[in-house]
Amino acid sequence: MPNSDYPALGDIGAIQTAFEAAGYICTTRIATVVKLAAALEKPVLIEGPPGVGKTELAKTCAEVVNRPLVRLQCYEGLDESKALYEWKYGKQLLYTQLLKEQLGDILDGAKGLTESMNRLHQFGDVFYSEAFLEPRPLLKAMESDTGSVLLIDEIDKADFEFESLLLEVLSDFQVSIPELGTINAQSKPLVFLTSNDTRDLSDALKRRCLHLHIPFPSVELEARIVASRVPDLSQSLTDQLVHFVHAIRSLDLKKAPAISETIDWAKSLILLHANELEGNLVLDTLNVLLKYEEDIKIAESQLPKLMATITA
Amino acid sequence: MSNPYRPTTPQSTSSDQLLAFMQFLRGKNIPVSPADTLDAIEAAELLGYMDRTLLKNGLAATLAKSSHELIAFESAFDDYFKIASNTSPADAIATDDQSAKPVNEGISALPEEMAAPHDVNDPLEGLRGNALFDALESRDESALSVAIETAAADVRVEEISLFTQRGQYVRKMLDALGEEALRAAAIEFEQSEPAAFEAVQALREQLRERVRDRVERAYLIHASAQTEDLLDESLSKLKLGNIDHSQMARLKRLIERMARKLAARHGRKRRRYRRGKLHVGETVRKSVATDGIPFHPRWRKIERKRPQIMAICDVSGSVAAYAKFLLMFIYALQDVLPRTRSFAFSAALGEVSDLFNTLPVEEAIEKVNLKYGGATDYGRALDDFSALALAEVNHATTLIILGDARNNQADPRLDLLSEMKARAKQLIWLNPESTRLWGTGDSEMLRVRRHCHVVKECNNLNQLARIIDQLLSDRR
Repeated sequence: MPNSDYPALGDIGAIQTAFEAAGYICTTRIATVVKLAAALEKPVLIEGPPGVGKTELAKTCAEVVNRPLVRLQCYEGLDESKALYEWKYGKQLLYTQLLKEQLGDILDGAKGLTESMNRLHQFGDVFYSEAFLEPRPLLKAMESDTGSVLLIDEIDKADFEFESLLLEVLSDFQVSIPELGTINAQSKPLVFLTSNDTRDLSDALKRRCLHLHIPFPSVELEARIVASRVPDLSQSLTDQLVHFVHAIRSLDLKKAPAISETIDWAKSLILLHANELEGNLVLDTLNVLLKYEEDIKIAESQLPKLMATITA
Repeated sequence: MSNPYRPTTPQSTSSDQLLAFMQFLRGKNIPVSPADTLDAIEAAELLGYMDRTLLKNGLAATLAKSSHELIAFESAFDDYFKIASNTSPADAIATDDQSAKPVNEGISALPEEMAAPHDVNDPLEGLRGNALFDALESRDESALSVAIETAAADVRVEEISLFTQRGQYVRKMLDALGEEALRAAAIEFEQSEPAAFEAVQALREQLRERVRDRVERAYLIHASAQTEDLLDESLSKLKLGNIDHSQMARLKRLIERMARKLAARHGRKRRRYRRGKLHVGETVRKSVATDGIPFHPRWRKIERKRPQIMAICDVSGSVAAYAKFLLMFIYALQDVLPRTRSFAFSAALGEVSDLFNTLPVEEAIEKVNLKYGGATDYGRALDDFSALALAEVNHATTLIILGDARNNQADPRLDLLSEMKARAKQLIWLNPESTRLWGTGDSEMLRVRRHCHVVKECNNLNQLARIIDQLLSDRR
C-alpha cells in the first residue's frame, strides 16, 4: 500500500536510482527507510556525525518527489511563534486604527453600554482570522495542498518544550490554533528531522519517528559519492583520496573529516591540477580536511603512516 | 492416521514470530512499546520476509530509537534469527507453512538405502507407520523440526524461566511428540532383539538431543532476558563492597543506565522553570512602540544555577570500593553536573578532577588509589581541603563526603567541618557502614552527624541513585 501522494518512493531500487540521478548515493538502508516513511506516513529522525549528508537527504528527497522543501532550522529559544504561526500584530494594529472611524457608524444609535457591546459582539473575532495569520514553516508545510518535504534541522538544538510542540504535528499532521481551531494537513508532508546527538531527544518524539542512523560511509561508498559529486577527478586519485580520509578518521581527532570535507578536498585537488596524492600536496591542503590546529598537527606527525595506507 | 502437525496460516505465524522477537528485544533492554510493535509489523508486511537485510533495516528503523540501541538491535536480530533458524528469517518465520507437507511425503517416500534391511522378520517393521519413528529413521529434517516446533508450542516451552527446568521441559516435549511408542518398543526389544534395540535407542538419543537443543534455545531467548533483569535487580541491592570483579562490566552498564535516566529527568526539569514572572517595567517599555498596547510581554528570568558538586572521597582500603562507585556515578552524570570537582584522601587530600576529566573512570580510580591510599586521617584531609578549595565553596555548592568516619582516634577537626557546613548550600555525609555501627569503636559518625545537613547510609546502588536523585531535584 504505497502512499499515492509520493509514487516515486514506492520501490527501493527505484529510490536508489532516482536519488543517484539527483546526486545522492544512498545505501539500501537509507532507501528502505525513505520507502517506509512514505508508506507508513511517519517522520524520519536522522542521526549521525556532522557532514554525512543528513540535511542533503531531505533536500534530495524534495527534488526527487518534486515538492517544495520547507526548512525549519532549530536553535535554542525557538518557539511556536517562529515555528508554527504568528498573528500579524502590525496589521491588526493598523486595521484597528483604520477602522476606528467605522466604530462610530456601527455604534450609531446604540443606547447604553450593554447594547453597544452586543453590537460589537456581532462582528465576531475579525482580528483573529486567517487573514491575520502569518504561517511559519510548520504551518506552511501543512497548508501545501500538493504535499511538501518538511525538514526540521538540528532538532537537538531546540528546547525540550519545542519537542512537545512538534508531537501534534508529527503524529497527526495537524496544528491547533486556539483562536481558529485545528488545521489539518491538506496532503501529508514527508518529514525529516535531523539531530547531531548533542542531547537525548524525548522518548515521545522518538516513538513517533522512524529512526535512521547514518554513519561514516565505507570506502567503496565514499568513493562512489566522490565520483558522483566530483566527476572530473580521476579514478585512481579518488581511490587514494578516500583511503587517505579513512585512515585519517581512524586517528584520535577532535573532529573527524566528514563526507562534505572529502568532497571539498577533492574539489581543491582539481583546482590544483593534482594527478596523485603526495606528501607536500597533502601537507598544503590538509586544512581543507581538518578544522582544528591540533588535529592538523596530529595528522602531520602521522603523515608517513597515512601515506603508506594509500599505496598499499 | 490424522496429521498431528497442523499447519497454521503464514500470516499469524509470522506476526507471532515477530512478537516473540519483540519480547526478545525487550529482554535485551531495547524498549519496544505496543505502538512500535504495530509499526514494525506494518513495516515487515510492507517489505516482506524474504530478504533478510531488507527486513533487518526496516525493523531497525521502527524499533531502534538511538545509535546505541541500533547496535544492540543488530546483534539481537542476528542472534535471534540465527537461533530460530540456520537459514534465513523467512524460513524461520514461515517454517510451518513451508514444511508442513513433507511430513506425509516423508512417510510415503522412504529413501532407497532404508529398503535394504526390510526383510519380513525385521522387528522394526511394527514401528513403521508411526510418523515420529519414520521421520527419525528417514532423517526427514523438515518433518522432525515441524514436529518439534508443534510439541514446543503444545507444552509452552517459551514459559521456561529457570535453567534447572530444562529436564522437565525436555520430558514434557518428548511426551508431546509421542516418544512413548519408541520407549515401549525399546523395552520390548531389550531382551529379544539386541540389534533392533540398539537402533531404536540411537534414534531416541538423537531425538532427545534435538529436543534438548530446542529447550535450551527457548531458555536463551525467553528466560535469559528475565534472568538478566533479575541479576540487575539483585546487583543494585547488593552491598557495593561485596561486588567482585566478574560483575564489574554489568555494574558499569547498570550505573550508566541509572545515570542516563537521572540525567534525562533532571536535564528537563531545569528548563521548565526557566521563565519567571512578568517583567512589568520591561513590558511597558516595549509597549511604547505599539501605542501602549503590550503586544510583547517580557518575562523575568529565573537564574537556576546547576548545582556544583564537590565530592570528597575516602579512598582508604575499607571504603575505596564505595568511593569508586560514587565517583563513577557522578561522572556518568557529566551532562547534568558539568562542574563537579572531586577530591580524594586517606591521609593527605588532593584534587582528582583532572584525572577524571581526562581518563576513563576506571583508570582514573586506579590512579587515585595509588596516589592517595593509606591510613585514614580525617583531620588532616579536612585541613587540606580547607586550604585547597574552601574559598570556592559557596551557597551553590553541595559538598558530599564519603567515608566511614573511622579516624583511628585522631582529632576529626569538627571545627573545619562546621565551617564547611556554614559556607555550603548542603553538606552531605555518606557512610557505607550500616547505621547500627555508627559510633562504635573509633567511629566519629555520631559527632560528625551534628555538623552535616544530611547523613545517610549508602552502600548499594539503589541508595546511591536515590540520594543523587534527591540532590538533583532539590531546588533551593
